[in-house]
Amino acid sequence: MRRILAVSFALLFVVGLGLVPAVSAQTREETLIYSLQSDIDNWDPPNSVLREAIILGYHVFDHLAVRDLKTRKVGPNLALSWKPIDDTTWEVKLRQGVKFHDGTPFTAKDVKATFDRVLDPAKKMTARGNHAKIKTVEIVDDHTVRFKTDGPYPLFVERLTAQVMQSEKVIREKGHEFMQENPIGTGPYKLVKWSRKQEHLLVRNDDYWGAKPAFKYVKVRIIPEKATEIAELLSGGVDIIKAIPPDQMDVINKSGSARTATSPILRTAMLQLDQAARSGPNPFTDKRVRQAANLAVDTDAIIKHVLNGLGDRVATGINPMAFGWDANLKPYKQDLAQAKKLLAEAGFPNGVDIVFHEGPPIVEPAIQQTNDAIVADMAKAGFRVKRNFIGDNTVLVARIKDGKAGSMFNWSWGYYSVFDADAILHDVFKCGENYSYYCNPALDDLIFQGRSTLDAKKRAETYVKAQQLLFDDAAYLYKWGLRGVWGISNRVEYQAPADEVDRMFTVTLRKK
Amino acid sequence: MKRYALRQLVQLAVVIVGISMLAFAILHVIGDPVTLLLPQNAGKEEYARYYKLLGLDQPVYVQYWKFASRAVQGDFGKSWYTDTPAFKLVIERMPPTLYLTFAGLGMALLISLPMGILAALKRHSLVDNLCTVVAVAGQAMPLFWLGIMLIIIFAVRLKMLPASGYGTWQHFLMPAFTLGAFLAPITMRLVRSGVIEVMSTDYIKTARAKGVAEWMVVAKHAFRNACIPVITVLGLQFGQLLGGAVVTETVFAWPGVATLTVDSIRNQDFPVVQCAVVLLALIIVAINFVVDMVVGYIDPRIRVGT
Amino acid sequence: MSAVRAGDVALERANAPITGPTAGRRSLRRLWRLKWGLAAALVLLLIVLVTLAAPWLAPYSPVEVDIQHRLGPPAWMEGGKTDHWLGTDQIGRDLLSRMIYGGRVSLLIGVTAVAISSTIGVLLGLAAGYFGAKIDWIIMTLINVMLTFPFVLLALAVIAVLGASLINMIFVLGVAGWPIYARVIRAETMALREREFVVAGRALGMSHARIIFGQILPNLVSAITVVATLQIAQVIILESFLSFLGLGVQPPTPAWGNMLGEGRVYMLNSWWIAAFPGAAIFITTLVINLMGNALRDWLDPHMKL
Repeated sequence: MRRILAVSFALLFVVGLGLVPAVSAQTREETLIYSLQSDIDNWDPPNSVLREAIILGYHVFDHLAVRDLKTRKVGPNLALSWKPIDDTTWEVKLRQGVKFHDGTPFTAKDVKATFDRVLDPAKKMTARGNHAKIKTVEIVDDHTVRFKTDGPYPLFVERLTAQVMQSEKVIREKGHEFMQENPIGTGPYKLVKWSRKQEHLLVRNDDYWGAKPAFKYVKVRIIPEKATEIAELLSGGVDIIKAIPPDQMDVINKSGSARTATSPILRTAMLQLDQAARSGPNPFTDKRVRQAANLAVDTDAIIKHVLNGLGDRVATGINPMAFGWDANLKPYKQDLAQAKKLLAEAGFPNGVDIVFHEGPPIVEPAIQQTNDAIVADMAKAGFRVKRNFIGDNTVLVARIKDGKAGSMFNWSWGYYSVFDADAILHDVFKCGENYSYYCNPALDDLIFQGRSTLDAKKRAETYVKAQQLLFDDAAYLYKWGLRGVWGISNRVEYQAPADEVDRMFTVTLRKK
Repeated sequence: MKRYALRQLVQLAVVIVGISMLAFAILHVIGDPVTLLLPQNAGKEEYARYYKLLGLDQPVYVQYWKFASRAVQGDFGKSWYTDTPAFKLVIERMPPTLYLTFAGLGMALLISLPMGILAALKRHSLVDNLCTVVAVAGQAMPLFWLGIMLIIIFAVRLKMLPASGYGTWQHFLMPAFTLGAFLAPITMRLVRSGVIEVMSTDYIKTARAKGVAEWMVVAKHAFRNACIPVITVLGLQFGQLLGGAVVTETVFAWPGVATLTVDSIRNQDFPVVQCAVVLLALIIVAINFVVDMVVGYIDPRIRVGT
Repeated sequence: MSAVRAGDVALERANAPITGPTAGRRSLRRLWRLKWGLAAALVLLLIVLVTLAAPWLAPYSPVEVDIQHRLGPPAWMEGGKTDHWLGTDQIGRDLLSRMIYGGRVSLLIGVTAVAISSTIGVLLGLAAGYFGAKIDWIIMTLINVMLTFPFVLLALAVIAVLGASLINMIFVLGVAGWPIYARVIRAETMALREREFVVAGRALGMSHARIIFGQILPNLVSAITVVATLQIAQVIILESFLSFLGLGVQPPTPAWGNMLGEGRVYMLNSWWIAAFPGAAIFITTLVINLMGNALRDWLDPHMKL
């Protein structure tokens, strides 16, 4: 009897192993492996707020326009050309001969169907806010579309890079639920299989209208633990990883099997201060306290020592790569004496208590270390910081949206890859917006002015004024523009992307 | 025997219900998932509509009853995060965790059986104490530390095994070892005592008197006697193992149900959490039930006891 | 469930040592056999004393940030300085000081959590063992539910509501840990219930409370001590587990668990940040286990554990 038991356990174990799925047919040679730390929630890009969804969307879908990473200018893609007909109308000419993965040809009706769906308030798509300035999309002919906007829309061209083109047939016949897991696009890769939170397998679209990718297969693996991800890169299990903490760069560079590449990216980090008192009364409603916070921190030293120089100091939230950035505005320099003086003037001679909501290192890799350094500096000026670490990004973002994240919290903004000051001012500094804890009618006027004209010079002047205002008012505790760090296996060639969108279809094998 | 089985089944059912109630209660105390679900600019009517949609406006016991009655039919609702049926999500990820746990148990046996037998035979010697130290060491090391160390040694330095992931038997080795090391101490102690006990019985003395070779004595009799208590306790340990599975799955990027559960708790995705907890409990309890039956069959003392 | 009972029987056999011949030689031999336990106890004492003497022994404040000197290796390695014997962590805090202060926090958590769970567990175990029948059934079901219920869920849930802090963590660990005490105490109480002095006490009309607390409990002290000692080690490990999930002691307060968690990404290059707290947890739990085993052998070799 006991023998039977022992044998059955052994059998169970062996059978269990046997049931493990066999290694798939694609070879390592023809497969490129890319890893993410967290998986996407769905394969319907306009319905997701995640950066990972944007990245994967680039592989299976195409956009009307794309950014040329070398010149940083927006160029044609599915759209061949565009021009403003009047202040509120844009005409876009489409590329011909493009097919969706299911064989249907790409025409104007797909553009209309895509935008109609995204803009429909009933559908509650996440991307609706991005394109809200578009009132209607009209079909002129099979390859020409007219966009009517609600007033002048200077970001129109930029935002052409921010919407994937989806199939009208799929939207009509298959519906919303189907689209969450089955992306049918025109892009360089097709989705073969999605094992949630484990991996995605993409196969090359051999009928692609554009440049054919070098690798037949792309596998996207989900590896939640950073140390494991780096180990996989070093041992050859993964070819490209992103968001490497600066401290781990030397391990990769010394390994001989992989190297790192950096690039400044649009993502700008800051600590939001609850000036608008969304979470209730707090010390940061007083300008002097906010200025003291900015003066307390030796941000330059933190960039130099904690980030190993991988950060671009900014005076406000505007990134040096964005249109409208004022190069002449110098950021706050650490001045502890002045900080203490300001706090005393504000009524806090013996220091002040604040609450700090911190997030996990998903988008800002060295966030814990820099937070520690910032808090230590603030303590020197008299800030008593109560730290509240929230382990899950989704939860933190939800709390922020709810107005419960005062008096101070970690925030960074990727601009939705739109290289324009408006892309951050509106969502992060405007009064009443979900992710803004600042409220200043004067700034709101400037924001409105900036987006109401197509005249680039006028816009630039408006944004200079806006930045001066944000600086003087010390709206938030400003930090830096991030530098993305990628880990690349020596097996492949890859350019670190300045818009934070990894493009596996541009990766080639390294020539020996 | 039938009465015994029936009694155990009732106990089993009670435990499952208890667990599902506890999970339900805890989740509803945690917080408001609707905030996480609604997109920007949602107004008060939106909130009200969602509350109604998800059934959160009803009193707790009504909600529980609705949940329970549907659950029994296999309908655990749809995930609030991804809109797919919760049951499908959980079942998809159950096998990797189960394989991992069994593999971990197997590893634990592989480590502790020889060590336990050796320790028993060389009682009170240095070997015995050393075995105890090694066994205890496995539990004294935080799982993720051990896991990452193994990855660094075997995947990065030696390039012998894949660092993470799921697919081939090589992928199993390190995670199974990590989990197994966790279980080894108690298993080893049991094996050791089982062997010691049997070595002094008349049964063994008779075998020796009959001239049976020493190694045969050990192999056949001592080994078999050691297995039963081990299996019993392993059944219990299965529940504890699931805690260790969370860490192991995260470190080794293992697509299991433990990480799904933790993520769902963080996202406040109630249906998935409830489904996972209930299904896991079912499995644990089922395993314990099987063990109970087997042991009850072999050893009537257990059956008849209070 | 009877698997619990079968497990109890098996464990009892596992933990009963073998007795020797004459009395005098027996006690001396017992002590010698316990030499590992004694050595372990000494090491533990040393650890406790060092952590208690933290304000005098630690060269720096454990939260003093010095970003110019971050990621400094230990003194004996290339690039290491004697200012920082064990090196510095990712924002320049002295590792040696953090180790000493961290030990305080980890041991504090261990002892307090165990105090809470043992109190709850002993009370429930006494009730179950003494009163039997319905009460026993309820408490046994509770034990089974708690043992089958994933600890992670409980911890995440509680800390999500109450927030991550030292006190909340102790609370969670304390509340989640009682089943093991209850099980042991219940078994022991049931055995003691039938003994003569208890039966006599009932005959004399002693109240239940007096019997439980006056007669039964004193006999259980050794069992409680042994289990509690072993559980302290278990709680220290759980603390590192919670820190891994981000629910543990919050920075900048050092605790071995959260130091290990913060240092895990650095295991590839600045390995000392994780290695020292890891070693500390390892050694401490090891000696606690060895000491606990020896304690059991010494106090009551026939204990059912």
